[in-house]
Amino acid sequence: MGLEYVRISPGFERYMPKDYVDLVQYGQFGKQIDVQMLGQFKELVEEHPMCAGCFMAYFIRVFYAALPNPEDTIVIGTAGCARLALSQAAVPFIYGNYGDTNAVASGLKRALSIRFPDKIKDVVVIAGDGGLIDIGFGMTMHSWFRREKFTTIMVDNEVYGNTGGQESGMSPKGVQLKMAPKGKQFDKINAVELAKVAGCVYVAKLAPTNPKRIAKTIRRAILAARHFGPTFIHAYTSCNIEYSIPTEKVLEDARKREKQDFGFYEWMTDEVKEFFEEIENKPQEVKA
Amino acid sequence: MYYVADVKEADCAKYNCKQCVLFCPEPNTLMYHDSKHVAWVNYSRCKGCAICVYVCSDLLKRNCIEMVMVTAGD
Ligand SMILES: Cc1ncc(C[n+]2csc(CCOP(=O)(O)OP(=O)(O)O)c2C)c(N)n1
Ligand code: SF4
Ligand code: SF4
Ligand code: SF4
Ligand SMILES: [Mg+2]
Repeated sequence: MGLEYVRISPGFERYMPKDYVDLVQYGQFGKQIDVQMLGQFKELVEEHPMCAGCFMAYFIRVFYAALPNPEDTIVIGTAGCARLALSQAAVPFIYGNYGDTNAVASGLKRALSIRFPDKIKDVVVIAGDGGLIDIGFGMTMHSWFRREKFTTIMVDNEVYGNTGGQESGMSPKGVQLKMAPKGKQFDKINAVELAKVAGCVYVAKLAPTNPKRIAKTIRRAILAARHFGPTFIHAYTSCNIEYSIPTEKVLEDARKREKQDFGFYEWMTDEVKEFFEEIENKPQEVKA
Repeated sequence: MYYVADVKEADCAKYNCKQCVLFCPEPNTLMYHDSKHVAWVNYSRCKGCAICVYVCSDLLKRNCIEMVMVTAGD
């Protein structure tokens, strides 16, 4: 972790895999990349086995491009589809036992603050709806009650995708899934309101229809967690397999859901609002 | 044989656009050429989802990218 670890020792360039050399030469280490530059630099995340057209994979692609300090970030995931890509990126990845992500992240973030008190070390959990709001519910809540300073991102595909289609607390009421043949009996859990009540200082909800906005939201969530407390992003990331969405219609579906129940929503404490007003307006002040 | 996206370079070059590149779910796959200002596909990484075709044809009505069958090694 840290810039000195990613650089290649002089003389070893020709022995390193090309993808790694590209990453160091044309990648985002040590720079703040504008997400609109996607397709023009070597991305941190590599080929992975997530399904064709998976919008959880798309969200993860934008997530890595949005990281403010990738060389000083640790990502924590768990069982579920997301880890299939999270484990293929040039950012340290820890596989928390299913349900334990936010406990692991709490300990890790505290340890990093003690070991590197003067350095930036960001911790981000990315896990599914099942991992965070069903089986990991207690750990998720307690990391928020305790004001742990890391970001939690729920990639909500409204199902247990990786294990073949069981309903989760985040599946919409009435939806029929392979292993919920009678249709889900209960409402979708309101994760955003829970996060606010439990003590998060920045909370956002989005559908992945606008890469610039996704990136801005991720950056804000990470920066707010660095300085103030827990932050949470609830992202709709459809499972085209379990919801039978033809792959070419995955973005259309996200746009539809954005209009229905995943309109962009952002909430933060006054303290965090003031912080962003200050740091985000700085460059403009210089120009004026 | 497998199914991949293919950019019609001459058509795409008219637009200075890049929108499809920003919506491909796969990393380092649908790329953008800095000086030619066209999108291009790294075929061996493309998974054939056609989200890029939706962006270019359905959303932008530009029809500059299509799905084609290729043989390994193309
Ligand atoms: C302790 C434990 N319980 C159950 C499982 C089995 N398991 C693996 S993935 C998964 C569900 C994944 O659903 P979600 O967290 O929503 O992620 P998705 O695959 O939908 O992205 C389950 C139950 C496990 N690996 N560990
Ligand atoms: S099963 Fe669903 S969520 Fe998992 S990789 Fe496939 S499309 Fe994505
Ligand atoms: S959306 Fe179409 S016109 Fe725009 S860059 Fe892609 S292929 Fe070219
Ligand atoms: S078909 Fe899918 S994977 Fe292939 S370039 Fe288009 S958006 Fe990317
Ligand atoms: Mg899920």
